[in-house]
Amino acid sequence: MKWQRKDILGIEDMSVEEIRQILHTAKAMKGILMRPIKKLPTLKGKSVVNLFYESSTRTRTSFEMAGKVLGADTTSIAVAQSSVNKGESLYDTAKTIQALRADLVIIRHQSSGAASFLADILDAGVINAGDGQHEHPTQALLDIFTMEERLGDLEGKNVVIVGDVLHSRVARSNAWGLQKLGVNVTLVGPPTLLPVEMASLGVKMSHDLNSALPGADVVMALRLQLERQKSGLFPSLREYSQLYGLTTERLKKTQKQSIVLHPGPMNRGVEISDDVADSVDALIERQVTNGVAIRMALIYLLIGGSSNVVA
Amino acid sequence: MWWLKEVAVIDPSQTISSPCDVLIKDGKVLDIASSLTEVDVSAKAQGEAVETIEGKGKFLFPGLIDVHTHLREPGQEEKEDILSGSRAAVRGGFTTILAMANTQPVIDKRALIEFVRLQGERAGYAHVLPIGTVTKGMQGSELVEMADMKEGGAAAFSDDGKNIQNAEVMRLALEYAKLTGLPIISHCEDKDLAGDGLMRRGLASGRMGLRGIPGSAESVIVGRDLILAEETRGKLHLAHISTAESVDLIRKAKARGVDVTAEVNPHHLIFCDEDIKLNDTVLKVNPPLGSKEDREALIEGLKDGTIDMIATDHAPHTQAEKTRPFAEAPFGIASLETALSAVWQHLVVPGRLSLDRVVEAWSVSPAKRFGLNGGTLKPGAPADMVLFDPDYKEVIKPANLVSKARNTPFLGKSFQGLPVMVWVEGRLVQKDRMVL
Repeated sequence: MKWQRKDILGIEDMSVEEIRQILHTAKAMKGILMRPIKKLPTLKGKSVVNLFYESSTRTRTSFEMAGKVLGADTTSIAVAQSSVNKGESLYDTAKTIQALRADLVIIRHQSSGAASFLADILDAGVINAGDGQHEHPTQALLDIFTMEERLGDLEGKNVVIVGDVLHSRVARSNAWGLQKLGVNVTLVGPPTLLPVEMASLGVKMSHDLNSALPGADVVMALRLQLERQKSGLFPSLREYSQLYGLTTERLKKTQKQSIVLHPGPMNRGVEISDDVADSVDALIERQVTNGVAIRMALIYLLIGGSSNVVA
Repeated sequence: MWWLKEVAVIDPSQTISSPCDVLIKDGKVLDIASSLTEVDVSAKAQGEAVETIEGKGKFLFPGLIDVHTHLREPGQEEKEDILSGSRAAVRGGFTTILAMANTQPVIDKRALIEFVRLQGERAGYAHVLPIGTVTKGMQGSELVEMADMKEGGAAAFSDDGKNIQNAEVMRLALEYAKLTGLPIISHCEDKDLAGDGLMRRGLASGRMGLRGIPGSAESVIVGRDLILAEETRGKLHLAHISTAESVDLIRKAKARGVDVTAEVNPHHLIFCDEDIKLNDTVLKVNPPLGSKEDREALIEGLKDGTIDMIATDHAPHTQAEKTRPFAEAPFGIASLETALSAVWQHLVVPGRLSLDRVVEAWSVSPAKRFGLNGGTLKPGAPADMVLFDPDYKEVIKPANLVSKARNTPFLGKSFQGLPVMVWVEGRLVQKDRMVL
C-alpha cells in the first residue's frame, strides 16, 4: 500500500490498514535500530525540525534519534516556556518554518489541536508529538507495537488503562487505536479524573481498579500530574495510590501473567510501585526502544519517498 | 417623505402583521393604513417630495435593537470601533445597539458613558447607547455612581465579560440600581466552575480533549441572581442564556413574579457543541455552545416567552487573534451583520420561529425592558425601520463586511433573506446592502 497521508495528527481518524502499515514498517526499523552501526543514508538531505513547546526529554530525544538513524538532518527549535501572549504566535512560527523549507515538523504543544493547526499551514509533513489533552499518536503506536511483540494478535485481548484519563492524550490515542484493532479497553480512574464525558471514546469505564483487573492482558498506568491534587481533583497521593496504584499484590487479580506499560516518566510509589516497575512483566524500557522504531517508521513513511528499506 | 406601498408590516407592538402602506415624515412614522391613494399621500406631504418604495413581497418592521454588543472602543480599536460597529449594525438591520462596558478602560464613570454616547452620535448610524459597569474597574467590589451615569446616558449596568462573584455585591447592585430604574445585566458565569475551560463540557469536549465548562457554570449564577432579584425586588436582565437548566429556572422565577428578563444569542439557537472543530476557533464562544437538548430548550424558551429577547453578543476579534490554536484564541463571534439573516434562514424559514416573534424579541421587548425609543411603528414613533427582502441573496464575503472583524461562522455561506433598506429616524442609512 502506498502511503497517502502528509501528516500524523491523531489515531482517531486513522484506518486499521494505516496502523498495520506503520507497525509493519516499525518492525523493519527496529531491526535496523538493533544493528551495531545504526545509520542509513535513506533520508540524506532531508530536514526534520523538532518544535517542542512543552519540555520533554524522552519524546524529543526519541524523535531526534529516529531522524538521525535514517540519515536526516534534525534541528530542534528551542521554544521557551513562555505564556501564549508573549513571543511569536504559532501562526508566525509556522510561516517561518515554511520559509526554512523543512521537510517534516515534529510538534509538541500544550493546546489541543495545535498539530492540526500547524499542518493546515505547512506544506511540510507534521507529526503530532502530543497536543494538549487531545492525542499522542506516536505513543499509542509504540504501545500497540510493544503489546503485539509480547502478545501477538491483539484482537479480543483486554487492556486496562488506569489513571488521569481526563487529562491524558496517551489514553485518548490508545483508546482509539486499540478499539480499531478489536481490543477490549477499560478506562479506570476516580470520577474526577474519569468523568462521564469520557464515554465519548466508546470504551468501558470503571472507577474500581480491582474489579476491572480480572482477565487483563495489559495494564497501563498513566502518569499522575502531581499538581492535580492542588486543583482538588484527588485528595492525596496516599489515597490515589491505595485505590489506583499498581502493586504486585493487586496485579495478581488479573489471574494472568499480564504485561505492564507506562508512558513515563514514572512517579514510583504513586501510580506504580517499585517492584512492579522493575519486574520482568514491566516493558517500560522496551517501550522506549520501540518508540524510536515507531518514529523511524513514521518519518520514513512521510518523507522517505520511493526509497525502500522495508523490503 | 417616504411612501412604502403594499409592504408586509410586522409590528407586534400594534399586533400588525399584514400588507400596509406606510408614510414617513420628519423622521417619524406619520401613518400606517391598509392602503393609501396618491391623493391621500400628496395631502399629507404638504408639498414635500415623496419617495415611493414598492414594498410588495417584502417585510417592514421596527429596527432591531441589540442589547448586547461589544464595540471595543475605547481601547481595542484594532478589533472594532464605534463607527465600524454601528455601520455593521445598520447593515445587519439594527437601528439601536447597546455597547457593553468591558472596554479599556471599562466604562465606569459618567465621563466615559458620555464619550461612548457622543462617539455614537458622531458616527451617525445606529443609535449607540452605553452600558456602564456595575462595579468600579469591573473589580466586583464597589458600586459605580449609577445615578450620575444614568444622567450621562447609561442604558443599563453590567460587568459583562466578568461575573460579579460576590453575591452580596450583586444583591447591593440590584438594590441600588432601583434609584435609576435601569436593569442590572448579569453575565451568568461562575468563575470557578468555568475554570479555564474552552467549550461546553460534554461528549464533544471529552472526545477532542478540550477542557470543558460545565453547564452549571451558568445555571448556578442564574439561580443565585434570580433568588437575589426576588428578595430585593430588583430589576434583573440575564445575558446570553445557553443551558436548558437556566431556561427552566427562569421559567419558574417568572411564574413567581420575579422582575427578570433574559436574552439568547443567535449562535446558541443555531449551533451546538458537536459543530465545533478542533482546528477552527470561529465557534469558540462564551458562554460555550451547548448540547442539542440545550438548543431545543432555548428555542422553546424563546417561543413561550421565558426568554424575552434575542441579542447578538457581537464580539469582534482580529484575524490574528482568532488564527491560533483553540486554547489560545479569544472567545467570541462577530455577528451584527449576519445575525438577522442567520436567524431567518435557520429558524424562520424552517418554521421553528415566526417572524413576528423574532421582531418582538429583537425590537419590541428590548425597547420595553430598557425603556428605549423604538421597537414600534406607531404613528409618532421615530422611523427606525428595516425593509427585509426574503428573496435577496448574498454570499457572505470578507470584502463585503463593514465590521472590522471577520470572525463569523457564516463566511462563504450563502444567505437568502436580508435587510435591503434601513432607516434611522427616517434617514436612509443602508440601501441594497450598502451602508450609506
